[in-house]
Amino acid sequence: MNLNPFWSMSTNTGRKRSDGEEQSGEQQQQRASPARPSFGKKQLPSIPKNAVPITKPASPAATAQLANGTHASYGPFYLEYSLLAEFTLVIKQKLPGIYVQPSYKSALMWFGVIFIRHGLYQDGVFKFTVYIPDNYPDGECPRVVFDIPVFHPLVDPVSGELDVRRAFTKWSSVPHGPFLQLDNDTALRNHNHIWQVLMYARTVFYKINTMEPLNPEAAVLYDKDVQLFKSKVIDSVKLCNSHLFDQPKMDDPYAISFSSWNPAIHDEAKERMFSHKRRPEDHHKGLQVSGLSWVKPGSTQPFSKDDNPPLS
Amino acid sequence: MASMVANGNRDGRQGEALVLKGVDPETCMIVFKNHWAQVVKILEKHDPLRSNTSSNMAALGVIGLSSGGPMRFGGPIPGDEASAVQNYVEHILFLLMEEDAGQAGAMGPILEFVVMENVMERLFLWSLRRQFTDDMKLEQLKMYEMIVGQARQPLLHHKPVLRPLMMLLSSCSGTAGPEVEAELVSLLNQLCCVLAKDQSVLELFFHTSEDQGAANFLIFSLLIPFIHREGLVGQQARDALLLIMSLSAENQRVAQHIAENTYFCPVLATGLSGLYSSLPTKLEVPGEEWHCLHREDWLQMPTLVQFLNSLEFCNAVIQVAHPNIRDQLVSYIYNGFLVPVLAPALHKPTLEEVMTTTAYLDLFVRSVSEPVLLQTFLSFILLHRHENVHILDTLVSRINTPFQLGTVSLALFQTLIGLYCEDVMLQLILRYLIPCNHMMLSQRRVVKERDFYSVSAAKILALTPSCCSPEHSPPPLRQLDSILWSKGTDNSPNTGTMETEETFLEEDGSGYSCVIGSEIYLDVNYLHYLYNARLGISSCTRACQVWSAPYDGEDPPPEESHPHPRPRPPCPPQTTDPAPTNQLELEWDDSYDAGPVVSPEAATAESSKPPQLPAAEPPKHIQEMRRTAIMLVKGSYIEESDFQDDVMVYDLVAKKDARDTVTKGSKEVKAHVADHNSNLQSPLAEVGDDLMGQYEELIRTLGSDEAGTGGSSPVKTVDKEFRNPVVTPMEEDEVDFSSFSMDTPELEKQHSSLFGTKLCSGSTRSHSVPFTGPFVSVLLSRLENMLDNSLHVNLLLTGILAQLAAYPQPLLQSFLLNTNMVFQPSVRSLYQVLASLKNQIEQQASTKKDFPKLITSAQHCLLARESSLKGQDSRECSPLEAGRMMKSSPPPQPKTISLARTEVFATVLFTEFLKELAAIAQEHSILSHVPMEE
Repeated sequence: MNLNPFWSMSTNTGRKRSDGEEQSGEQQQQRASPARPSFGKKQLPSIPKNAVPITKPASPAATAQLANGTHASYGPFYLEYSLLAEFTLVIKQKLPGIYVQPSYKSALMWFGVIFIRHGLYQDGVFKFTVYIPDNYPDGECPRVVFDIPVFHPLVDPVSGELDVRRAFTKWSSVPHGPFLQLDNDTALRNHNHIWQVLMYARTVFYKINTMEPLNPEAAVLYDKDVQLFKSKVIDSVKLCNSHLFDQPKMDDPYAISFSSWNPAIHDEAKERMFSHKRRPEDHHKGLQVSGLSWVKPGSTQPFSKDDNPPLS
Repeated sequence: MASMVANGNRDGRQGEALVLKGVDPETCMIVFKNHWAQVVKILEKHDPLRSNTSSNMAALGVIGLSSGGPMRFGGPIPGDEASAVQNYVEHILFLLMEEDAGQAGAMGPILEFVVMENVMERLFLWSLRRQFTDDMKLEQLKMYEMIVGQARQPLLHHKPVLRPLMMLLSSCSGTAGPEVEAELVSLLNQLCCVLAKDQSVLELFFHTSEDQGAANFLIFSLLIPFIHREGLVGQQARDALLLIMSLSAENQRVAQHIAENTYFCPVLATGLSGLYSSLPTKLEVPGEEWHCLHREDWLQMPTLVQFLNSLEFCNAVIQVAHPNIRDQLVSYIYNGFLVPVLAPALHKPTLEEVMTTTAYLDLFVRSVSEPVLLQTFLSFILLHRHENVHILDTLVSRINTPFQLGTVSLALFQTLIGLYCEDVMLQLILRYLIPCNHMMLSQRRVVKERDFYSVSAAKILALTPSCCSPEHSPPPLRQLDSILWSKGTDNSPNTGTMETEETFLEEDGSGYSCVIGSEIYLDVNYLHYLYNARLGISSCTRACQVWSAPYDGEDPPPEESHPHPRPRPPCPPQTTDPAPTNQLELEWDDSYDAGPVVSPEAATAESSKPPQLPAAEPPKHIQEMRRTAIMLVKGSYIEESDFQDDVMVYDLVAKKDARDTVTKGSKEVKAHVADHNSNLQSPLAEVGDDLMGQYEELIRTLGSDEAGTGGSSPVKTVDKEFRNPVVTPMEEDEVDFSSFSMDTPELEKQHSSLFGTKLCSGSTRSHSVPFTGPFVSVLLSRLENMLDNSLHVNLLLTGILAQLAAYPQPLLQSFLLNTNMVFQPSVRSLYQVLASLKNQIEQQASTKKDFPKLITSAQHCLLARESSLKGQDSRECSPLEAGRMMKSSPPPQPKTISLARTEVFATVLFTEFLKELAAIAQEHSILSHVPMEE
């Protein structure tokens, strides 16, 4: 896996370092509930420890040297923001039972976990990783690889990779290379998003498809001997769940890891999650909002609210 | 005498307290009675009536006071007797102060005695009987201040204590002596503190007597004359009044009394008018770069400081007072200050005066924090019409004046946009965008779409001029940072954001550069723009949560709203209708037919007064109040001692002679207005018609050109050619506004003339003509002239546009930032203007050999400017010094480049602006979906 190092463009070293210190804490919360990654708090991810950016004070000589023969490019920014936009879309979709978190090291790698709540795979908790091609959005469909190969017709029994391509035969990100100009409408209506891939990864566990399987054994069993298939699935689910508390496969601070419930750590986080729902109202009442409006809802006249003091 | 009390207070008290500590109450009582007996002996000796019953005393008091002077019975009182009384009194008072309350809050025996024997009232009458001079008053005031402030049990609950106090206070009301005034206010302040702590006293202060009808709140009335006073006295009075104001919020009776029976609100509001009239009508502008009144500027203008103090006080009153008082005050400020004073001032005859008023208005808006008061100012700006022209339209049109007035007007709009106020944004821009007819019909559903792949950012950045592209000459990093920050520190009204910016800057202070791999040079500077954009957008988004609608092209619905629903004002008779045959006119001339919509309130306000009457003439009662207020402000409050009805006090004040100054003043104003009218209107009608002709001719050519080539560049060139002569610099500052509008068809005049015609033509105009509003048009016009604009104008312009672009409303966002949006041909977009600028720059760069060198020099110069500005920021504690620095010489320049090379500076700025916009576009694409952060 080629980790695109463009995260390291962050210059915010001082700031991010403190983030790094908090990481252990954040991770704990992740374990308790990987519900919402702490995405909103950052503008750009931190500089990974192992990918050292060349940072130095901008003494003119040094700058000139560095700049020599290099060319500026905003490409990484576009990629970064496209992925961030994708990620915000994922959050917005609120996909049931699916949680993802971009890796610390690369925006092109997202860690995820999927909870299956009913059906053949009920109680399954499958960790997976999404690999996004580095020429995104112009490249291929992102890949989804389960940490432990689940027994499933569409999951490769060796690599754990889910056959996503069959659902996105044409990953149509074509119109939106930053420098391509196409009619906006087509661009916006026909392109694919990463959340759709995640959605697909969930669907395969509820609607089993045995066409052109990656795991022929599973496919055959499902068609011929559902009972055996079922028991194999149960074994597979058990296996996956027994590895749930293992160290994450990937050595990444943002990798999703589970730990058993520890009230000292998790109770507070849980508390916060539940109180989160009440916040919008509090927000309106308690906090002094800096904006102003005297426009009556439904009106487009200024100062149309009824409670305006009369000026004459 | 007075000093004796004061000294006794200080030195004696400590000794006494020590002595008293061990003494038992009974002994104290005995001492007290002994002393009092001595005092009574002397008192009765000089009392012609030989009476010691309190009922007679009360009658005496009234007589004594209503005759307005000292009453003397039986000749002068010998000095030794007077000082003997004084000595005894001191002791008595100490004993009274030191006494603790009895059990369960009962009176202590000394207090009981004081109440029963009516001690305080008899002492007051005694001082009246002697020469009731200022010294005597001072002595009495100090006496009360001492016992009220230091007594260990509540004294004011008892009428025999309270009544002489009230008599004393009222007898002091008209006094001119500054010492007495100071002491009076200090005592009043103290009483207010007591009131605020113990509301039960309030009832007693409000001595309502059925036969007199009106409730009387003397303390309050006495404080009013000091509202606008300078210095400590004024401050104490205002503090005391604020205490009463917050009392009024909970006490309906106090609120009602203040609103109905006192002149508090009118005095306060019209006092602003009085103070405003003493402000300099022309500011000494420190330099061309100057565009708004900073703290260090106004700190050096005492009159302005005083005005701001009073404005701040109004703000505070509105914040704490009962809604009745608040509404009344706001209404008086509107009708007694903004409309009759500020509106005419905004239309004074010379450029300088108008510019000064605009700068004041900007400062006032920045100084006001209470939403209700802000609303008053804003509705004045947005809805009020002066001589049939909306203030807003006038202000917008002035952006286009090539003089400092244009810059100052820009700064005002920067302030307004920074308020995150829906009403402002609605009137300035959104109302023109809501109908969605600025875009092709098919584009409506695109309004809400997000730019997932940074397409717009890429397109904007692609406009980077080749001479500035990082590939050619990688700019020194700090240098470009500095441009960003300088824009940030330039008059940003949003201090919250500023702080965060600074933190960020510090963290990153050493200016790191980053290299990805060994190949790609990343513009670190761009990260700063992204960070900044994120801050700006999220604080704006948070602020806009209180807005009534998302403005996303669906809500408010485009069909129902028409951009021009306001009733057309009657056509001025002198203007002729040029028969609007051609609908395709340059956008920005439409300014005046699409003014703000009148709200119900404002409509009634306007209909209530005859429309033809010049607004410079305020209603009679307002003039009257203003007169009163001005007299109060000028300290000519007269000596009258009728305390029964405080309304009468003001009546008397009003009758005093200071009237002269005011009438003179208002005559001057009227004269100005008259001048102004004649200057503007008579010659303009003709010129205006002529201009209209040229205009339509031009537009016809433009229309065909456009149809032929389909490109936007020819439009720009012709357009620019047309505008250029207009902007040719005349000598700034000293140009008289009237002469300016006489000779040449300058912009301001165009507007005036166009205004007249448009008022009539507008009604026949089809509503579907795409138009994004005068404000956007004017901004884009000025932006298009970027290469000719001075640096500071460009900083303001780009600052405002970036501010607008940070607004999260999809209508605004799609209009400003979505480069894929397809607009109606006649609508000019920001992107088009930027593209035309790029072409202009490329052309310049290709014709001038030394252009790259100049660019580098300009970058260095901006860097130096930045660091000098930053240096000032760090020394904020000494604004004077900072102010001097700014005003003196321009910062040192490593390689000399004249600021007159505007095209060079503009090029550097343009490049930075592209990054800023692109960063905002990118941040929008990811922020819009994220649930609100904390």
